[in-house]
Amino acid sequence: MTRRQMMILAAAAVTTLGLSACSSSLEATGELDASKLTIYSAQHKNLTEEWAREFQDKSGVKVQIRYGNDSSMGTQIVQEGASSPADVFLTENSPAMTTVQNAGLLAPVDAATVAQVGAEYVPSSKNWVGIAARSTVLVYNPSKISEAQLPKSLMDLAKPEFAGKWGAAAGGADFQAIASAVLATQGEAKTSEWLAALKSGAKIYQNNIATMKAVNAGQSPMGVIYHYYWYRDQALDKESSGNTKLHYFKNEDPGAFVSLSGGAVLKSSKHAADAQKFLAFITSKDGQQVLASTEAKEYAVGKGVASDPALPPLDSLQAPKIDPFTLTGPRVIELMTKAGIL
Amino acid sequence: MKTLQLSGITASHSGTPVLHGIDLVVPAGSTTAVLGPSGCGKTTLLRVVAGFLRPDAGHVRVGDDVVAGPGTWVAPEKRGLGYVAQEGNLFPHLDVAANISYGLPRRERRARARVDELLELVGLSGDLARRRPDQLSGGQQQRVALARALARRPRIVLLDEPFSALDPELRVATREAVAAALAHEQATVVLVTHDQAEALSFADQVAIMHEGRLTQVGAPVDVYRAPSDRRSAVSLGEACFLSGQLRDGVVTCALGALPAPLASGSGACEVIIRPEQLRLGDPAASPCVAEVTRTAFYGHDALVELRLDDHAGDRANVCARTLGSETPPIGSRVSVRVIGEPHVIAIHEAPSLATAETEPQN
Amino acid sequence: MTTAPTSTAPTPSGPAPTPGSTPPPVRSGRRGVGAPLPLRAAAFLVALVCALPLVVVALKAFEAGAGDAFALVWRPRVGELLGNTVSLVVLTCVISTVLGVGAAWLVERTSLPGASFWRIALVAPLAVPAFVNSFAWSALVPGLEGLAGAVIVTSLSYFPFVFLPVAALLRSLDQGLEDAARALGLGPWRTFARVGLAQVRPALLGGVLLVALHLLAEYGALEMLRFPTFTTAILDQFEVAFDSRSGSVLAVVLMGIAVTVLTLELLARGRARHARVGSGTVRRATRTRLGRATSLALLGLTTLTALAIGVPAWSIGKWLSRADQAMEPANLGPTLWSTLALGLVAAVVTTVATFPAAWLIARSRSWFAVAVERVTYLAASLPGVVVALALITLTIGLVRPLYQTATVLVVAYVILFIPRAMVATRAAIAAVPPELGDAARTLGDRPVRAFLRVQLPLMLRGTMAGFALVFIAVTTELTATLLLAPTGTQTLATAFWDASASLDYAAAAPYAAALVVLSAPLTYLLLHGKNEEPLT
Repeated sequence: MTRRQMMILAAAAVTTLGLSACSSSLEATGELDASKLTIYSAQHKNLTEEWAREFQDKSGVKVQIRYGNDSSMGTQIVQEGASSPADVFLTENSPAMTTVQNAGLLAPVDAATVAQVGAEYVPSSKNWVGIAARSTVLVYNPSKISEAQLPKSLMDLAKPEFAGKWGAAAGGADFQAIASAVLATQGEAKTSEWLAALKSGAKIYQNNIATMKAVNAGQSPMGVIYHYYWYRDQALDKESSGNTKLHYFKNEDPGAFVSLSGGAVLKSSKHAADAQKFLAFITSKDGQQVLASTEAKEYAVGKGVASDPALPPLDSLQAPKIDPFTLTGPRVIELMTKAGIL
Repeated sequence: MKTLQLSGITASHSGTPVLHGIDLVVPAGSTTAVLGPSGCGKTTLLRVVAGFLRPDAGHVRVGDDVVAGPGTWVAPEKRGLGYVAQEGNLFPHLDVAANISYGLPRRERRARARVDELLELVGLSGDLARRRPDQLSGGQQQRVALARALARRPRIVLLDEPFSALDPELRVATREAVAAALAHEQATVVLVTHDQAEALSFADQVAIMHEGRLTQVGAPVDVYRAPSDRRSAVSLGEACFLSGQLRDGVVTCALGALPAPLASGSGACEVIIRPEQLRLGDPAASPCVAEVTRTAFYGHDALVELRLDDHAGDRANVCARTLGSETPPIGSRVSVRVIGEPHVIAIHEAPSLATAETEPQN
Repeated sequence: MTTAPTSTAPTPSGPAPTPGSTPPPVRSGRRGVGAPLPLRAAAFLVALVCALPLVVVALKAFEAGAGDAFALVWRPRVGELLGNTVSLVVLTCVISTVLGVGAAWLVERTSLPGASFWRIALVAPLAVPAFVNSFAWSALVPGLEGLAGAVIVTSLSYFPFVFLPVAALLRSLDQGLEDAARALGLGPWRTFARVGLAQVRPALLGGVLLVALHLLAEYGALEMLRFPTFTTAILDQFEVAFDSRSGSVLAVVLMGIAVTVLTLELLARGRARHARVGSGTVRRATRTRLGRATSLALLGLTTLTALAIGVPAWSIGKWLSRADQAMEPANLGPTLWSTLALGLVAAVVTTVATFPAAWLIARSRSWFAVAVERVTYLAASLPGVVVALALITLTIGLVRPLYQTATVLVVAYVILFIPRAMVATRAAIAAVPPELGDAARTLGDRPVRAFLRVQLPLMLRGTMAGFALVFIAVTTELTATLLLAPTGTQTLATAFWDASASLDYAAAAPYAAALVVLSAPLTYLLLHGKNEEPLT
């Protein structure tokens, strides 16, 4: 046999092996398995996995998770419509959940589950429930800007004196929730102005972590983020936040906005009972305890569950009175598109 | 061993007509050389026979079977032909033995006996069987290509300029080996070539092709001696053309009155004389005298261009072949004598003003 | 990637009785047997699949009318993105050309020691995906961002696309023309500039085209370096609204840029054709003596490789050593396996899919064949996310059972990466003389059998380079994989992205290392998977 024939044979063998091996492996690693409970999660991977693992151990229900982020996943579910493979949808912020609810795709949440959550964290439709909460904060680098120089309000960041001195992950769903709070409290004109100032005067980062790291490294004196990124890093090695401090705006400022993460069961779910069980679990004491006991550092919303003691109490934050159930994405996105951020 | 018969073959390449009504019979067991310059359509003709190109009209018969004709088309692999191309086209990924046994049925492929037999037939050593084509010389490649074509005992073998890529010495040796092998197989052979020596020495029949037409078909000796027109004459070798007058079996031209017993009729004509028909001698020896204007020395022989002395206002040029050792110097004067009979073409019954010239050679 | 041009030296004419050898008759149209209909049908099908995303995107963009689409295009943000995209493409292409051609010249045409080492070292950056490279650079130089950062990182990642074909061509370049130029009184430098570069042009343009198309579709590296281009903006649109019209409009603009780039390349290429390999032997090029400049050249190449491979290697190594605390090793196995499986399947399918069109182009070069080829190029210039969204729309609407299956993901890979394999397959087919197929047929093989016994084995090696390119591309593909991967499936690239998005370098490093290790052997194929010259 010539060298060339051997090469051809080898190539053929490898190809055949590869093809047969991967068809089986793709089965194993995730060809959509209809028998499993499918969770579409825009929440953090660690948190979702922790919940899923504990739920799987307790209930014996097999779970598979698809990750994404709020807005795109919400729109994706709407596009998939009645034949969505998703059974459960978890978000980081409320606007995406409202999108799916408005499309009429959510099933009512079991009364017992609703009862586990504080009434202020459940919409009147009772089609979804809050599963966690997070607060807007201003992270700053004291070596670049002193506490006294900090803006009094989130809106003040639009002032010329702060141009070039702050950053935000404007492309992400978290920031859009914050912007929708600005819209809800300040109205469209002021919001547009503020967004225009953001476009011209702020550094736009990939996400909250990148924003915080940039502040930590002194590349940007201030950054608008959610609180838990900072507390999480503080609890670890402080590598990304060691040089920074947090500033809470309080005073019902839009910058003190508390965003509500949601959980819901899809109307089209083929595992509705298991899906309801999952939602019941994550809002239960055990489920909410995960928020406090792990590195999640998000606020618990279950009745009688204390949040991580490292966090300032939720009711001390003087959040603005915003109905989280009226916040929607599209209008904010429109304004951000107009401002040239998107 | 089958007769190959082409009748009225017309073919074209992407809309351009290439062949215009080719008629040719290659008798069983004989060899026919199709001779013509590049682009005359001879390779196209071979591709029509092999089955790579459909003719627009006409028939191709192999023995009694029509393999191409209106409504009939036999695929190349079913025609039972052997084909050897200019480049040999050995399969570079296969060794010599695998190349030769390529066309054999699967169980016969393993048997070395047939491979050795074929290698011997084309005059190659059995040691080459395990070599790869790129380890062979050009001549060896062509011989292996022939062995490969002969392995299936084809009824007809087509050779498409198989020797033209070889060095001159190698060309002759390979040609002889191939001729011997083909004779041994008693194959019917069509050779396509632009090399007149190859055509004349290799074939039983020569077909001269020009711009998609066969202008003359016949035995090499006949076609060489008696070309049907200037073009046929030139394609087989150097020739001098002189105008003359034919009367009663004698043709009168710049070289004098020459006997032409085979020519019939009378009137103005054209006389074809091959350079080797002219003998040069002392200027006193003959009334026909010329001046040497140019010589081309090739070693074994030489071509001598001559301007014949004024002959009734007609300064004709001719060309003679001499032994290399006897090449006369330029400017010298020689006598010219004609050996054998001149060939007479284009006889016009009405007398006309004659002009003589020498057709330039390629 | 390129066919070396060689000139056939005229054979000296023999003695007069046998006329001098004349060139063999031109066998132009091979349409005697005609391109088989199934082949054309297959090529058409491939083109159709590749064109689907284009159609879906265009329909989506103009769904609300041209006026509305215009309003979405005619805004400052699009101008900003256009400026960013164009300046990035221009700068990086220029720098890649300088680096690629310069390095190729030093390695192939000068007395620089260690040519075979440099050949590998200068192709090796291809094993490091651009977004891994940007991760490494960000870890090393935290402030690196914007246009400067993007140009530095993408140039270092992509210059081998220029180096590879140019070096291959320089290596096989016939010395004859350059000798002639020297004889006409040009110095060695000017000779290279005027004659060498002219000969190198097709290979150079091919390489620059690849760089430009990669840049247009690059997401990960640019996102990490905070440099918004059309592709990152489309991703932003995807994140805020999944399948937004605004995103589709941006994608249409991007297609326009891609068409421009492809047209420019076509124009610049002009009539230059790949010369056929003749039978004359190629005279090996003489190498320019560098003399005292040797150390300078060595320093230059060392710096280049240090920046292109040294930085990522150092960075990954550093974070790898801290990885034990962050990494769940259980994850790496399945991720590696699914990456490998997807890469193999997609590379095989893509290579096979190139055959019909490549065959048509190499053998007949009809307008149909050229159209098929250009369609595949165009579709592949779209960012992965656009193709993915189009496929999601199509599968949700038309072939529901395929939704979120690996099959659709493989289709996306085929659409995205088919040009890479097309180039190699074309060259491989062109390198096999069609006469060999004829020979096999006179020896009793039916066309398909002749293809399988003769042509395919001869082409196989040449197609390997394309296979390798596709495999590397698949293993490092990010956005389409994020959207289309079956629920629960992650690849090394997406796992790396997840970890690196939170700037968790330690968690990302093992995936980065695995990606590099996986790609590394394939750079060997790129260097050595060239077609053997056909026997003539």
